Amino acid sequence: MVVGMKDAAKLIGISIISCCAVLVCALFMNYYLDILQIEDLLSTEQAVIFYHAQVSTAKVVCGVSGGCLLATSVVMLSFYIKHYIDTHKKELGILKALGYSNLRIAKNFWVFSTGVFLGTSVGFAGAFLLMPEFYERQNEEGLLPEIVVSFHPSLFVYLVALPTIAFAVLAVFYAALKLKRPVLLLLKNDFQSSSKIRRVKQGRDCPFLVDLRKHTLRTKKTLVFFIIFASFCFSAMTQMAASMNELASKMMGIMMLLIGVILACTTLFLAITTVIKGNTKTIAMMRVFGYSQKECCRALLGGYRPMSYIGFALGTVYQYALLRFTVDVIFKDMEGMPTYEFDFPVMFLSLAFFLVVYEIVMYCYAGQIKKISVKEIMLE
Amino acid sequence: MIEVKDVMKSYGNQDNKLPVLKGITAKIADGDFVVILGASGSGKSTFLNVVSGLEKPDSGSVRYDGRDITKLSDGELTGFRKDTVGFIFQQYYLLPNMTVEKNVRMGADLAGNSDYREIIKAVGLEGKLKKYPGELSGGEQQRVSIARALAKKPNVLFLDEPTGALDEETGRQVLAYISALQKERGFTMVMVTHNQNIAQMANTVIRMNSGKVMEVSTNETPMTAYEIGW
Ligand SMILES: Nc1ncnc2c1ncn2[C@@H]1O[C@H](COP(=O)(O)OP(=O)(O)OP(=O)(O)O)[C@@H](O)[C@H]1O
Ligand SMILES: [Mg+2]
Repeated sequence: MVVGMKDAAKLIGISIISCCAVLVCALFMNYYLDILQIEDLLSTEQAVIFYHAQVSTAKVVCGVSGGCLLATSVVMLSFYIKHYIDTHKKELGILKALGYSNLRIAKNFWVFSTGVFLGTSVGFAGAFLLMPEFYERQNEEGLLPEIVVSFHPSLFVYLVALPTIAFAVLAVFYAALKLKRPVLLLLKNDFQSSSKIRRVKQGRDCPFLVDLRKHTLRTKKTLVFFIIFASFCFSAMTQMAASMNELASKMMGIMMLLIGVILACTTLFLAITTVIKGNTKTIAMMRVFGYSQKECCRALLGGYRPMSYIGFALGTVYQYALLRFTVDVIFKDMEGMPTYEFDFPVMFLSLAFFLVVYEIVMYCYAGQIKKISVKEIMLE
Repeated sequence: MIEVKDVMKSYGNQDNKLPVLKGITAKIADGDFVVILGASGSGKSTFLNVVSGLEKPDSGSVRYDGRDITKLSDGELTGFRKDTVGFIFQQYYLLPNMTVEKNVRMGADLAGNSDYREIIKAVGLEGKLKKYPGELSGGEQQRVSIARALAKKPNVLFLDEPTGALDEETGRQVLAYISALQKERGFTMVMVTHNQNIAQMANTVIRMNSGKVMEVSTNETPMTAYEIGW
């Protein structure tokens, strides 16, 4: 077996994200399906308006969070498989050299979907645990008749079974695609291969450290995306959570906050771990030469800091636009809806919190860099 | 002056200990050219790594002008390597996604050395400044790694089988260049090699066998890289 369960276990990031996605989607979709049943029972006009607002909220939340999270899972899975193939080039190359076909090797990559299965199952089960509480909170004012929690088997198919199968297929096909490299390129190690060269313009009189920083940023575009995405999620979700407290319910606020922080941390960890793993040899060599840990950190990780600010700004704009839209378009007929204004104190609070989290994560990874032994370069 | 005293080093865990250096004592004078000879597995590379501060010994001391580097913290050791030593490895270990020029600058920047292009020229690579390591032959890559180490202007240069992957002609050229530069700048050089003939170029020859120094001999009339056999 090429890919073991142990490798799949490292996909914890995808498990967490798919868990969040399914939790939110199952909660709101189930709610949506259950609430549809009571449409005929509505008596007052106020109840009808409230009913429609609830249906729209369910749709928006499912679409926005489910869609975002699904996209992230797909990107993450592809990224992880690529990373796996890059770091296991030699073994895979030997298999290819022995005559195994691409598809035969790629078939083993289905294992990666177990992480998705685990995450979605936990999320689905979690949603059902939360449901009674959630239903009650959504209908606190008692505008609607009582809504009963019922189990919809089709939801299980759509949220657990299908994603697992889809991700298994995706993993196999993506791996097959990635394995379509000549055997020799797979067999050569990083220090020799020319396959991995990315011709990045290197300034004529640019110091080595500056070039290294630029290079790390430019060759690992996916990571830049992840960092921006992480800070985007953090910014949007935490700020939105604060507004949700007022606009919707406390429970939704807390859920958003948790999802935002978990998502941000998972992606941030994944991104930075990859930066460091991908540059272990470079770091070791730099340490052999006598570059200090601080210089290594700054060169490899420093470039991502501005990116994270960009992500934060984007997230702020995004959540403002989304809430404006929700309040102005969806809730416009609702009476007694609080008006929505941009909340500066919350933004600053979120920014401060973000900076603290970011710097702590960076600090932890600086320790990680310190642990890289100079002998690492001699290991193959 | 480098003084190595009673250095011991073993690998593995308690139950399965493999002693590699079994009490090594040696002195290396400033400006000396030392060659370390010994069979494969006799601990030459390990010795080099310990003396150069890449690795800590289990016991014993390594003193540079009286300063014991085995007692330094990790950060201090990094600083020591930055100021004092240069390395050339058998496997080159160039940074694959940096051009030849940038690889050399990696060393040059540490010493604030701006005439690194001279060194690239001297090792005969001025035409390959913008090439990547993957596009060079083994000998060319080794010359880049030599330029990178020299650009750092080390006081002590450590070489672990620098000619192991080179053919005779390139090997001689590289050795001639390094030893000429050593004479000019007067740095200390410690080279590990399998090649008995190269020992004739050195001032001092240390023979190792299974983790111990067997014999230290001095050479009154060192030969040049073109006079030795191969
Ligand atoms: N990191 C390590 N872990 C365990 N054993 C090691 C390690 N490094 C070296 N050894 C062992 O120490 C012994 C000496 O290794 P060393 O690399 O110093 O030999 P050498 O004299 O340089 O050999 P060669 O001429 O083949 O390069 C070997 O038996 C090797 O297996
Ligand atoms: Mg060796």
